[in-house]
Amino acid sequence: METKVPLIRLAKREGMETWKVWCIRVGSILLALLLGALVMVLVGVNPIGAYGTILSGALGKKTAIRQTVKIAVPLLGCALAIAPCFKMRFWNIGAEGQITAGAIAASYFALFWVGRLPGPVLLVVMGLAGAAAGGLWALIPAFFKAKWNTNETLFTLMMNYIIIGVVRWLQGGPWEGRPGSQIIPQFDGAACLPRVLGVHCGWIIVLVLVVFMHVYMRYTKHGYEIAVIGDSVNTARYAGMNVGHIMMRTMFLSGAISGIVGFIVASGANNTLYDGVAGGVGFTSITVAWLSQLNAFAMVVISMLLAVLEKGAETLQTRLAVPTSISDIITGILLFCMLGCEFFINYRLILRKGGHKEVAK
Amino acid sequence: MKKKVLALLLVCAMALALVACGGNNNTQQPSNSGGSDAQQPAADGGGNGEGEAKSVKVGLICIGDENDQGYTYNFIRGKEAATEALAANGINVEWVVKWNIGEDSGCEDANIELAEEGCDLIINNSFGFEPFMLKVAPDYPEIEFIACTNQASWGDGLENTHNAFANIYEGRYLAGVVAGMKLQQMIDDGEITADQAIIGYVGAFSFAEVISGFTAYYLGARSVCPSVTMKVQFVGSWSDATEEANAASALADMGCVMISQHSDNTTPATTAQSKGVFHTGYNNDMIGVAPEASLIGTRIDWAPYFEYAIGSVANGGSFDQDWCHGMDMGAVVMTPLNEDIAAPGTAEKLAEVEDQLRSGKLQVFDTSTFTIGGEALSSAFALDTDGDFTPDSEEAVFDGAFHESHFQSAPYFALRIDGIEWINEAF
Repeated sequence: METKVPLIRLAKREGMETWKVWCIRVGSILLALLLGALVMVLVGVNPIGAYGTILSGALGKKTAIRQTVKIAVPLLGCALAIAPCFKMRFWNIGAEGQITAGAIAASYFALFWVGRLPGPVLLVVMGLAGAAAGGLWALIPAFFKAKWNTNETLFTLMMNYIIIGVVRWLQGGPWEGRPGSQIIPQFDGAACLPRVLGVHCGWIIVLVLVVFMHVYMRYTKHGYEIAVIGDSVNTARYAGMNVGHIMMRTMFLSGAISGIVGFIVASGANNTLYDGVAGGVGFTSITVAWLSQLNAFAMVVISMLLAVLEKGAETLQTRLAVPTSISDIITGILLFCMLGCEFFINYRLILRKGGHKEVAK
Repeated sequence: MKKKVLALLLVCAMALALVACGGNNNTQQPSNSGGSDAQQPAADGGGNGEGEAKSVKVGLICIGDENDQGYTYNFIRGKEAATEALAANGINVEWVVKWNIGEDSGCEDANIELAEEGCDLIINNSFGFEPFMLKVAPDYPEIEFIACTNQASWGDGLENTHNAFANIYEGRYLAGVVAGMKLQQMIDDGEITADQAIIGYVGAFSFAEVISGFTAYYLGARSVCPSVTMKVQFVGSWSDATEEANAASALADMGCVMISQHSDNTTPATTAQSKGVFHTGYNNDMIGVAPEASLIGTRIDWAPYFEYAIGSVANGGSFDQDWCHGMDMGAVVMTPLNEDIAAPGTAEKLAEVEDQLRSGKLQVFDTSTFTIGGEALSSAFALDTDGDFTPDSEEAVFDGAFHESHFQSAPYFALRIDGIEWINEAF
């Protein structure tokens, strides 16, 4: 009997040696750089010069490093926020909205409580308000998921658009500065995060969160519960865990951290609130979280890598007049290769061997 | 098999790379050398032959890109014209342009980046850029910063910040005259009755710049067509082609026979044409897209200001912190008149009114020509000095007119005059 063997078959691969894994990863980055170079050549830029410009633009000067760190801070914070959800296989793609919710709450205190509270207290209140608002915004889809098993992917995504609409309304309505301008006034100095080493101190907050998240996921009962649910909801139930409760608790935590990120961005970077406050960070950080395989310390590296690419892309445009869209393509290639290589680490390709030999045997 | 595929891929890649490199050598030369560094302008200047050519590096931060065919495109036109004019005077301008920058901390980064790249002058083209520019300006006192269309320079205590605008209300008034003449012609021909002379205006937001513009437009129209009234529809966006078309369409359905706009797209013009009504434009000549509807347009020409500011920097001099000129300096221009559909005599009338505006004989906001709540305007403040966003100082009404853009370049006429109806004030 003749069975059809496909040209390429996939097989799950187990226990690859560490050095091989890293070879594949390094190889994928090299491949990405080569493909990126090809794109650069096609638009007429010398690839070596361009990669050099990206690096020097992002890390070459003190001011450049500061800007790069400023870009990395929300990416890192938000990746930390969504990590526990993803570990639990709860697909929270609403970080964008949770950041925005946190930014709104923080901005409320920045705009209307300045002068009524002393500076440091005001900042703490803004941070707490941001965490509470982000947490509550995340709790809503978690509640529905726990109670009626709604689809969290769609639910969290839709929640983003609602809260961004709220900001638009605030911008053109009650919080508007100059009539008709659609711009909320800049915060008073007391409501802005102070700078440490030239960058707003949000970077310290997220580094503290890195340690917190690492400990929380690795060494606490909560972290263990999250891991069990991620592996198997039924096992978790069998072990007597209240899955719905844990989901809601984890989402609240996730949303709260996103909310703090919102506070950091509004108070530290923009000193105001506007509808683009999250600026796609809620989505980009998903990539950061996956590339880091939900490891908090790896996220520091990956978020810096993405920030370097983003800042470098700006410099590439400034110095070599390369459109930022070209840089986006190169970033996309890099991410694709890096995420794609995990596939080859986990699976093996088996090519069909010459014709009917197998059958004949 | 595997090796063959791989080899084939490699060969393809190399061939492509070679082809691209080959083509690149002749076509992309300027952009390659543009990246070298600060030495470059001198090398470029050599091409012009002038030994003592001065060179200035100017940064321009844009909210959009030149493909918007509206706001940013208009800046790019000004940039190109100014570069040419300055080159004729022996001043070489090297531009560094940042496209699609948001009104957020990204704008701060763009200002820092341009400053670090060695720009002598940095121009921010959008209103919302100013607060972020102001965070960077104090750190680079030797660099001049310009926030177009905004207003902080008179009160921010910094020497190196500037604002600029143009008296676009003059151009609006003239466009209004063209519209009014057309409406009066339609009344005289019996196509519409006197009270059917209604203008529909597509406005972005109820922002002073917009209000000032449509009021000037209305006054221009009424100066030649006394029975005209106007409806203003705000769309809640500076640039949203679909919403602008919807607003124009709704206005036409409400009986408006003339459409004008303060928004970036040409869709109000095309909608006016499909609805069989007339149109006057902004930022751009729209006769091409709506030959049966578009009568005329007006736009700011940034070239005179760029020439002035960049020339001053090149010569080591200082320049006005708050600059606002109109037809007197060619900072406001009219796009070509569509003679095929405009009322007879329009061109002559236009020339006459333009002369009166230039000479100062005619004031656009002459207080004898409009009323507010049935009463003549006798007093209105121009500037907001305490930051609560309501004007509280400098009397703008004197010598029988409201003096727009007199105390600061950014428009401050935000009054609601009789004859103009606001629809959806939410924006």
